Amino acid sequence: MATLPAKLLKVALIVSIPGGLYLLAVNKHAERDALRQAAVEITPACKAKLQDYALRPGEPYRSPYLRKMTGSWSELRGYSEDDVRAIQRGCNIVDDTQGQLARDGARERWNATRFSRSTHSSCDHCHQGVGDKQDAAGNRPVGSNGLAASWVMADMYDRFTGLLLPYELRQMQCYINSSNGFKPNAADDLLRDVTAYSRFLAAALDLKIGNRYPEQGMDEIAASATLRRGDDYVRGAHVYRQRCATCHGPQGLGTVVQGRVLYPALAGAESFSFDSRMNFARIDTVMPGFICRNMPLGAEGSLDNQQCRDIAIYLSTLPRPAGDKQGPLVAAWQQLMMTVMPPLTRYAESLGSNHTLHAPD
Amino acid sequence: MDRAESRDGKDGTQRRPGIGWLLRGLSKPLAGAAAIAGFVLWAHFGSGIQAFRSQVSSAPGWQQFRASYGLDDFGADSYFTRAAQNGYNLFYFTHEFGRRFTRKTARDAVNSCAGCHTAEDLAYGFVNSDRFDAKLGRRMSFEERVMRCYAGPMDGFVPTLYDPAVRDIRILARAVAHHLQLGEGARKDGS
Repeated sequence: MATLPAKLLKVALIVSIPGGLYLLAVNKHAERDALRQAAVEITPACKAKLQDYALRPGEPYRSPYLRKMTGSWSELRGYSEDDVRAIQRGCNIVDDTQGQLARDGARERWNATRFSRSTHSSCDHCHQGVGDKQDAAGNRPVGSNGLAASWVMADMYDRFTGLLLPYELRQMQCYINSSNGFKPNAADDLLRDVTAYSRFLAAALDLKIGNRYPEQGMDEIAASATLRRGDDYVRGAHVYRQRCATCHGPQGLGTVVQGRVLYPALAGAESFSFDSRMNFARIDTVMPGFICRNMPLGAEGSLDNQQCRDIAIYLSTLPRPAGDKQGPLVAAWQQLMMTVMPPLTRYAESLGSNHTLHAPD
Repeated sequence: MDRAESRDGKDGTQRRPGIGWLLRGLSKPLAGAAAIAGFVLWAHFGSGIQAFRSQVSSAPGWQQFRASYGLDDFGADSYFTRAAQNGYNLFYFTHEFGRRFTRKTARDAVNSCAGCHTAEDLAYGFVNSDRFDAKLGRRMSFEERVMRCYAGPMDGFVPTLYDPAVRDIRILARAVAHHLQLGEGARKDGS
């Protein structure tokens, strides 16, 4: 029979454990609220972007971009200080998801690294120009994956998942697949701030709800858009070495200098997973579209459709993390390959370094 | 020889356990299984299956609404017209199609979203959502506003963020906003 002190101890434990958890939750909420109220230190790219678009608190909002492109103003609902901070934080997340430019690291990015196993991934790698890529004249290139155009077309039927895909769910997929990570909650500030930023871009660019714009998505390239020679990873490897390896590395492992990711990994543990739409083996049109429209940086459009497909199929042969759909055996195998293949490939290439690689036509 | 020995068969005879003993032993697992089966049946038949089926009832006024707001064009660009239609049903006949989330009935004077808002209000609300709400002291999403409408003016319960009761109202708002060619932050007075 339990004695009185033992009983009291049990009761104290039962009360203190949930009580402690409650206090912890209250504390975390207060921390988040303080962060929402704090001034935002924006990244240089975001500073330039948001200054160009004249983001400031007050009524009304007039977009300088619209003035520049059409010569007319449009008066839209202005933003409060809270809204401005949310937009600034969202821009920071897109530009620097890993918090490498932040003074307080990941905390200033709502700890986005919790949801990403990859230490390279940043939204800006696929959604270039901080989610709003433009040429010198201010035109938005086709297939540049603009966030504003995605926002106005959100909730549409997604043929890859069979869902009506809300914007937040689409962002979750980016974390799960492109960052090989985990799903944030739909109401997490991390997603909400990126949504706020995307919506601001849509206002600045004067995009209308439900209209399709050329910068939306990847401008996929199907085999039918080539001369149908077949996709060839040997040809792809050759073009990759000529046009991509300088930045992304000979094995696609990316370039990191002093802890900062200059060019992201396209293979290996820091790369996107098998489940990503970027994986050619899963969807064979998205990655070629991305390459053709957005790569190499500064020389976009210099690769033809077949070259883009060849590079994409080559990248799909490199080891990368398994996704949720592949199961533990494939995951273990990929883990082994990601460990073993880079040194083996380096060794093999050092043996043949005196020979010129045969370039198939 | 005592009774326990007889049951163990140590006396060379084996007594078959009676059906009553078997049922007594199985009563708890059976009750548990029945409870689970009951819950599954309730979830299947009784907890709003209408909201998740792909066919949508054609409520009065739908065809006119569809024509007025060009919903067929909206659907042509990969949207599900039926999601917008379910949104229409929820918006104009909330007490009927969103009964899981409202206590309002046909007898109430105001028993639907349309009692307070027009479809165009909804569209303008959508393009002006995700903004700071001075009354609440925080930023509010469109979905949260819809949830608050269910809980407050509709005297009901809060659907989850993913529920079609929220999603389809957002899609209806998008459809109307598309028809009106509204952009982010568009103001109803046009200024």
